[in-house]
Amino acid sequence: MSQATAPAHPGEHHAEESKFWVYVQIAMLLAVITGVEIVAIGLPFSKWLLVTSLVILSVVKFLFVIFYFMHLRWDKLFCTILFFIGLVLAGGTAWALMLLFGVEDSKPLTYEEAASISAPADVRFIS
Amino acid sequence: MSSHATATLDHHNDPTTSTGIPNKKLLMWAFLASDCMFFGTLISTHMIYRLHPPPGNPDPRAVFDIPLTSFSTFILLMSSLMMALAVNAIQKGNVRSMRFSLLTTIFFGLIFLGCQVYEFSHFVHDKGLTISNSILGSTFYTLTGTHGLHVLIGVIWLTAMYFYSFTGRVTEKQAIDVESMGLYWHFVDIVWIVIFTVVYLLEYL
Repeated sequence: MSQATAPAHPGEHHAEESKFWVYVQIAMLLAVITGVEIVAIGLPFSKWLLVTSLVILSVVKFLFVIFYFMHLRWDKLFCTILFFIGLVLAGGTAWALMLLFGVEDSKPLTYEEAASISAPADVRFIS
Repeated sequence: MSSHATATLDHHNDPTTSTGIPNKKLLMWAFLASDCMFFGTLISTHMIYRLHPPPGNPDPRAVFDIPLTSFSTFILLMSSLMMALAVNAIQKGNVRSMRFSLLTTIFFGLIFLGCQVYEFSHFVHDKGLTISNSILGSTFYTLTGTHGLHVLIGVIWLTAMYFYSFTGRVTEKQAIDVESMGLYWHFVDIVWIVIFTVVYLLEYL
């Protein structure tokens, strides 16, 4: 078990008090952003604009939670680096897979397309 | 009565460790980084199979219930607020306020789980979407079911901490334990933020 933490500066007590209202305000902001996202999917704008908007709004919500609710803003930078290592690896993997499976050649063949390709007689096509 | 002022503990630094970070907090952040990758693969799998859905795959727009999911998303966000307030309370030594906030967090967590159970039941019985009869069902239930399991574990942990606080052993000095639990709960929330957008909302564009 880690040792008891050292005494802090007196000024931090006031900062702890104001965190209460910061948390409440951020929660209200997150709720509003969620509402905006739900409304946005029904708006008659282009798909790329809406997708970009939704992604940006989600990233904003994500960052508010990790930096304020999860205290990254007040903790040592190493915590941020550690979390972002996992986040970047996960995001990078997801992005790479989407690129890989998004190309036309990755599109699954239909049964007819597969059957039209010349193949050895002992190859069976599963429909 | 003692006249000396109690020094406020610094909950963000621990000079006894080589990193300056409390060991429990460091461990939790390392675990959350790994859990990021875990959910990243599940979300990626769902998204990949949504790129080129096979013929006969159910249309998610005909299955999903956005009002219900929006409500459960809002509930989870509010539970995150209450968790942050619980940590804030115990860092000021206010155990009673922490207990109230924990209880509210548990309540909201249970509401979220209830919504998930209802949603799964509705999808299976009314929409005919099961984990084994379509690619959509397989990826959807695996992803959201895993998330739901994380929420359940969080609720159990919160409940255990709530009852443990009545033993008198949860004080300002043990705030790190509540904070570690809070980090896990907030992580569950941010994963849902991603899932709600990627799995539910993007289908309607």
